[in-house]
Amino acid sequence: MIKLTPEVLEDLPITSYSDNSTILIKTGAWKYVQPTYEDKLPACSHLCPAGNDISKAMDLMARGDLAAAGRLWRAGNPLPASLGRVCPHPCESECNRARFGGAIAIHMLERFLGDHTLGEELLPERGRATGKRVAVVGAGPAGITAAYNLALAGHEVEVFDDKPQPGGYLRTGIPAYRLPKQVLDAEIALVEKVGVHFTPNTRVGRDVGFAELRERFNAVIVAVGLHGSRPLGIPGEDHPNVYNGVHLLEAILAGERLDLPSPMAVVGGGNTAIDVARSLLRIGVEPMVVYRRSRMEMPAIPAEVDEAVAEGIPFELLTAPSRVIVENGKVVALECRKMELGEPDESGRRRPLPVEGSEFRIPVAGVVTAIGETAELDFVPEPGRDGWRLAADPRFATPVEGVFAAGDAAFGEGTVTAAVGEGRRAAAIVDAYLAGRELPAAAPPVQVAWKRSVNLDQTVHEEQLNPAYFTEVPRPPIHEMEPGARTTSFAEVVEGFTEEEVIREARRCLVCGTCNECRNCLYFCPDVAIHKRMEVFGFDIDAEHCKGCGICVEECPRDALSLVEVKS
Amino acid sequence: MRMVLKGNGAVAQGVRLARAQVISAYPITPQTSIIEGLATMVARGELEARFVKVESEHSALAGCIAAESAGARTFTATSAQGLALMHELIHWAAGARLPIVLANVNRAMAPGWSIWTDQTDSLSQRDTGWMQVYCQSSQEVVDSVIQAYKVSEQVLLPTMVVLDAFFLSHTYEDVEVPEQEMVDGFLPPLDLPHKMDLDHPAALGNLVFPDRYMEFRRKMDLAHTLALDLWEEVGREWGELTGRSYGLVEEYRMEDAELVLVTAATTASTARVVIDAMREEGIPVGLLRLRVFRPFPADIVRRALGGRKQVVVLDRNCSFGHHGIFHQEIKSALYDLPREGQPELRGIIAGLGGRDVTPDDLHGMLSDVREGRITEPVTWWNVLPAKDPAAAAMAMG
Repeated sequence: MIKLTPEVLEDLPITSYSDNSTILIKTGAWKYVQPTYEDKLPACSHLCPAGNDISKAMDLMARGDLAAAGRLWRAGNPLPASLGRVCPHPCESECNRARFGGAIAIHMLERFLGDHTLGEELLPERGRATGKRVAVVGAGPAGITAAYNLALAGHEVEVFDDKPQPGGYLRTGIPAYRLPKQVLDAEIALVEKVGVHFTPNTRVGRDVGFAELRERFNAVIVAVGLHGSRPLGIPGEDHPNVYNGVHLLEAILAGERLDLPSPMAVVGGGNTAIDVARSLLRIGVEPMVVYRRSRMEMPAIPAEVDEAVAEGIPFELLTAPSRVIVENGKVVALECRKMELGEPDESGRRRPLPVEGSEFRIPVAGVVTAIGETAELDFVPEPGRDGWRLAADPRFATPVEGVFAAGDAAFGEGTVTAAVGEGRRAAAIVDAYLAGRELPAAAPPVQVAWKRSVNLDQTVHEEQLNPAYFTEVPRPPIHEMEPGARTTSFAEVVEGFTEEEVIREARRCLVCGTCNECRNCLYFCPDVAIHKRMEVFGFDIDAEHCKGCGICVEECPRDALSLVEVKS
Repeated sequence: MRMVLKGNGAVAQGVRLARAQVISAYPITPQTSIIEGLATMVARGELEARFVKVESEHSALAGCIAAESAGARTFTATSAQGLALMHELIHWAAGARLPIVLANVNRAMAPGWSIWTDQTDSLSQRDTGWMQVYCQSSQEVVDSVIQAYKVSEQVLLPTMVVLDAFFLSHTYEDVEVPEQEMVDGFLPPLDLPHKMDLDHPAALGNLVFPDRYMEFRRKMDLAHTLALDLWEEVGREWGELTGRSYGLVEEYRMEDAELVLVTAATTASTARVVIDAMREEGIPVGLLRLRVFRPFPADIVRRALGGRKQVVVLDRNCSFGHHGIFHQEIKSALYDLPREGQPELRGIIAGLGGRDVTPDDLHGMLSDVREGRITEPVTWWNVLPAKDPAAAAMAMG
């Protein structure tokens, strides 16, 4: 201790120090800016159409609390086990981990969480019954998700579908080698557990009237997806060995015994074309993909195209069919023309233009058309549709009172993950509608549903992170079945992660924009003004001593703190 | 063990033998091979230390200050602009009474950009409270680094060990590298009396009001006075162990010398050759080499130079608008002599920015002073002449 009245130099310490000034001096009075804990949107969640709270779940997994992570993931998303398998995971495309060893394998972690939450005990709690009834038309991913969220909100929900089992395109359009059917069945069983009632084999407009639905239910959500196929519009297309891709895929996946010719040309470059080609290969038919643009413009999920190539399926690119050649009643060839790419069209992709005199023949015994799908909406009254699309506004509402829309029939995003996100947002809007609240001008972003405070206006990219705290750790390999072994069965191609792999991978996550209690702020605060909350997540900043230096904000590795001006 | 080492290698060997625990440094020519050498030793496990890579010299010294405050023996090294960038923390390290050792390879300050030797960088840090030792050989470098820790840790003041760019930093010499066991006996582990204590948390370097500040500064100054005797004592002790004694200054052929050259660092070793040659000619000349510049050994300087006829101070530095810095210091020390004991004093500024100072130069300076050809208090040696100094100062060329 320093003597308060030193008489000689010996009474003074060697240099100045104080064991009480930190507390006595109220440095908080100096500040004109102050730090505040503010979670922001990580780049992954910013790009996640389904609205998964990825960073928070990663932190929970990194701590080994897989149950909490699973509960969080299923809070608004009923299909993680399915999505982990079929989603093209845009989240990974801008993962800030990319330059420190490769993007986090988010889809593998979602798949694991999905698979390990197939028991009832991790389901969210259902809200108090509201007495309101909602009809959902279409038991695909958009309909299932809307129904799940509305049921959780306490509404009574019935889902109508013309197929014998719910699942929509997940069941009829996605082969088992990508999504085993028992996984889908288990997820749908959970949706039933929260109170959703599925009414199968019931086509609205045929087995039940649309008007009747509007009468019996307080709101209707139409989410029927795209199941009509567009014709090629070329001679010979009416031959019985020219198949509709959507229907053929559905038949193959249903395990129907089919007597198909071989080889077959699959015309198109979307997911249906690729799924049909890969499925044909597995039932002993020799497929070939014919697409009028180049690989770059293919709308199919790139990884799925890679798999098809790996499995040895040939691609005839920049090629458009002009005629199905039939001899003696049999398809013998597909006459095609070579194409070249011109200026970009309204889709932003370069328009294919035929090369004069380039006709050639591809010898095939059958043709599958998969050049795009349309919605079948005859049952929807006129102002509710716009051509073959649903007439949905940015609030997901149609001009018909109490009728809302979601999924591909409305927005045509073309992925299961987008359908799930739209289902969540539609549910939020319908919930507001049923509560008699005024609807916003547009459905809020899906992350609004998160049960934590996040500044959705700020996305955390690499520039917002403090890279001093991150070292390179490589992305783990993802194991797949050998291509040679795949062609004889519909067994799942991609192997899942083990629990150990999942935790290790979650620990690689930088947890962008999300406080994970790393304590850097507390360690660096020169005024000892940051205190860990006892038994509660997070920290408190002691305003009397925080002088607004901003060191905590600077040293936060993940941009979970912000500096704000002090209003006097 | 005998090794062929350049000055930078000798620094690294000294730091290794002193068992520095934290090295926090940023590279700069001509210092770089010091920290490369240390980084290699740490990587190979020859030195058990944390090597902290930083983004600037300011942070390099900040790292040392933090680690030393926690009780670790620390080291850093730099040159010229790097030392200048450290300046704020140079003061802090001394005021916090942290016995950090820093090697500065003398390099001229920019602009004009230069990587060659010049003492202005280290002498610009004269008033910071650091001790400064100017070395003339790789052997002296390795020995001085170890001695610096011993003195610093007793008086709780940091030391700058200084060596000339290239003439010393990059010149290989035969060096006797002491055995670790011997050094361990000479230099005990650091036990910093005011190191951080987790059981008694405190804010370090906090606000001091005018009624106390001066007292802390007085304690620093007293510690410098204490260090004067300690450098001599530690230099003698080293001599008993190794046969190589050191003092605050080195006197060469000073018996009956009427003309004395005062200088520091590698120029002194060149000067010995010239002194020998002039003695052969029958001219009574001697050499006084300044080794420890802070604390300044004023008594020894007075005793060595009092009563001589002529003294020439050679500065490889300049305090613009006045003299060479060593010249000023010598002159102020001599003022305390009685008038009749005061020698005729001439200052020569030479060798700035790495210009060679050859035996012929030294011979010429000494002869010019002795024979009355240099009459001005300060002479810039061997520079282009000015036809009109005022015009030359402003001319655009």
